[in-house]
Amino acid sequence: MTLTQKRLLILLVIAVVAFVLGRLAVRAFMNLLLGGTLFGGDFL
Amino acid sequence: MSKAVKEKRVKAVPIWMGVLVFLLAFGAGVASKFAIQPGWAKEYSLAWSDELGTRLIDLPYGDGEANKFDLYLPKDGGKGSYGLVVYLHAGGFTAGDKSGDVKMLSWLCKKGYVAAGINYTLFAELEGGATNGASVLTQSEEIRDAIPKVIEAAEKEGYHIDSMAISGGSAGHALAMIYAYRDAGQSPVPVKMTFGAVGPSCFHREDWDNYGFDRETEESYQGAAGIFSAMLGEMLSVEEIKDGSYLEKMKPISAAGWITTDAPPTVVAYGTYDRVQPFKASLRLKAALEENGVDYRYFELPHSGHGLQNDHALYRQWMETVEEYLDKYMPVK
Repeated sequence: MTLTQKRLLILLVIAVVAFVLGRLAVRAFMNLLLGGTLFGGDFL
Repeated sequence: MSKAVKEKRVKAVPIWMGVLVFLLAFGAGVASKFAIQPGWAKEYSLAWSDELGTRLIDLPYGDGEANKFDLYLPKDGGKGSYGLVVYLHAGGFTAGDKSGDVKMLSWLCKKGYVAAGINYTLFAELEGGATNGASVLTQSEEIRDAIPKVIEAAEKEGYHIDSMAISGGSAGHALAMIYAYRDAGQSPVPVKMTFGAVGPSCFHREDWDNYGFDRETEESYQGAAGIFSAMLGEMLSVEEIKDGSYLEKMKPISAAGWITTDAPPTVVAYGTYDRVQPFKASLRLKAALEENGVDYRYFELPHSGHGLQNDHALYRQWMETVEEYLDKYMPVK
């Protein structure tokens, strides 16, 4: 694996994790206001 | 860790780049939660367009400043008769406006119904602790008085109304249920069905655990007396809360208490973790519908709260069932 491939792979993993965390953060905030579970139901 | 390995890692992904990508993707995740709607949801949420029909705004039905309604008349105005669907706005009895339901009302209009959004006088505290006199009771009476005016206005535009459905969200749902179960007998046209979500339907304090009213403490009794008094528009004492006699006084605004075998077919949805109104009260509503043999569908969204926000699949089923019941009990001619 070249350095560029490695770099892209790591950035992709970071991006996916951050994207998921962003959606989870909104869900957590909405749950705080309205009630609800952090997991289950819709995917995020 | 050797210096060489450290250097290699730094070379692989510079920290600043990782942080930047993280922040951008995190922001995209946040934005996507708000911006991306499931494809099916768009079907029930239409922007208003003159192609759908005619919209009359702020027609009066009473002397109060808030006593106004919007009427959505479908394009094909030549039919013999129409069904009316009223949708009442949310807002905790203290806020909100019919303009917030344009998308829902537009969908109903597109389906071929005459649709109406009705405003009601919102509860407000004035200076010195006084209130403007509005309560759930006065709001329900305003809605009751508005319906004949809404039908009159539709008739005036050449749309003969022969049946109706009443619906709403949250506070609007509570008012819709009160009309459907308490006041339908006074309606100028038969009330064929009611639908809505997350509306409080009764006031057994033990159900109101989301506000801590289920506890046997003075603070809990006082809290229940305060909120229930404001909702009813009449002072309830702590003693009445303690001995349970407040329930009879709350009956005029307790929709579930008015359900009889004549109650119209009902479709409702509630979130198990609702923090705004008590989920447990919805179980009493369900039991009353069951006991009286009403044709009803009750949807419990097990991961959601007051916004029904975490169970899209069930939310979709609920909306499809609303449509199914409308088609069954108030088919568009």
